[in-house]
Amino acid sequence: MTRFVLRTLALLPLAFAVWYFAAPILLWPAVLIVRAVAHTSFADLARVVEQSGGVATFVTTLGAGVAAAEGFVTVDVNLRAYAFGMPLFAALTLAAHTTRWKRWLAIGYAALTPVVAFGALADFLKNVAITAGPAIASQTGFAPWQREAIAFAFQFGSLILPAVTPAVLWVAMHGRYVAALRATGSPAPAER
Amino acid sequence: MRRFLVVFVALLAFAFAFELTPFAQAHLVTPWTDAVASASAALMRTFDATVTTDGNVIASSTSPFAVSIEAGCNGVEATLVLVAAILAFPAPWPHRLRGIVVGVVAVQVLNVLRVISLFYLGRYDRDVFEWAHLYVWQALIMLDVLIVWVVWVRLVARNPAASPPLAAA
Repeated sequence: MTRFVLRTLALLPLAFAVWYFAAPILLWPAVLIVRAVAHTSFADLARVVEQSGGVATFVTTLGAGVAAAEGFVTVDVNLRAYAFGMPLFAALTLAAHTTRWKRWLAIGYAALTPVVAFGALADFLKNVAITAGPAIASQTGFAPWQREAIAFAFQFGSLILPAVTPAVLWVAMHGRYVAALRATGSPAPAER
Repeated sequence: MRRFLVVFVALLAFAFAFELTPFAQAHLVTPWTDAVASASAALMRTFDATVTTDGNVIASSTSPFAVSIEAGCNGVEATLVLVAAILAFPAPWPHRLRGIVVGVVAVQVLNVLRVISLFYLGRYDRDVFEWAHLYVWQALIMLDVLIVWVVWVRLVARNPAASPPLAAA
């Protein structure tokens, strides 16, 4: 158990470094999901979604208000803020050192990508529907209950999902490893 | 394992929805957040007499930088995750209650360290502060929750009567 924790802590800085510099590539599939959802569900709000490194920029259809007669509101979303679970999951998976670690990494990445997309979309909607102020929020046409739902989705997508999903995935994928840790404090040979 | 995950997600969703209610925010979350700020400041005052608090804000009389402890940094969500994981796992109630008490303390101790470190990192370098705030500490707190939970599961396993096989969990 102690060795597993130490391995995880040792791997975490490396995982964070790889994740940070590879973010433009790692987060690209999440942006594809965001684009697809924005195109199919919020086409009246988001005209274009562009990616620049770890930032997704939503170019909206919303006017910037009376102070700026021309132009559209843009919303920048820091994708990394919803993706910190990726290096955590990678460190946990590599520290467990099971034979299927490549498979678990691939499945974990695939499972965490929609989490990033969900957080980014909720962040965008929260910005235009709530925090941008009444001049912009009134253009979105959201009903009060929809704003409540957006607020909840944002909170859930920023406070719970990015942190909990990697831990849940790791436990689900490493049930035998956890069982071995539970029994002996070290993983069973078969699990290695 | 499947039953554990289903119960865990259900408990967490319920607890998180309750946390967001005005009642919970006013009577539980806000006082708790203020207490986290006070505890962090009290610890900091043992080596830095310039630290002050006002509600959930920690400041210094010698620096313009201040931190406001908000949702996600008060340790409430991490605590909910841990409590849901302990309650979802099949174990006798005395074990669960001990796990919750000790586990919450462990999470909150690390959270106070997070607040203190972020306060000084922010005074030193805003970029480092943002990195630590948005990414590193978020991961470390969840790692703490996971480790506490696994340790608790191991302790439960030492009591054969309280330890059903994980496959049935």
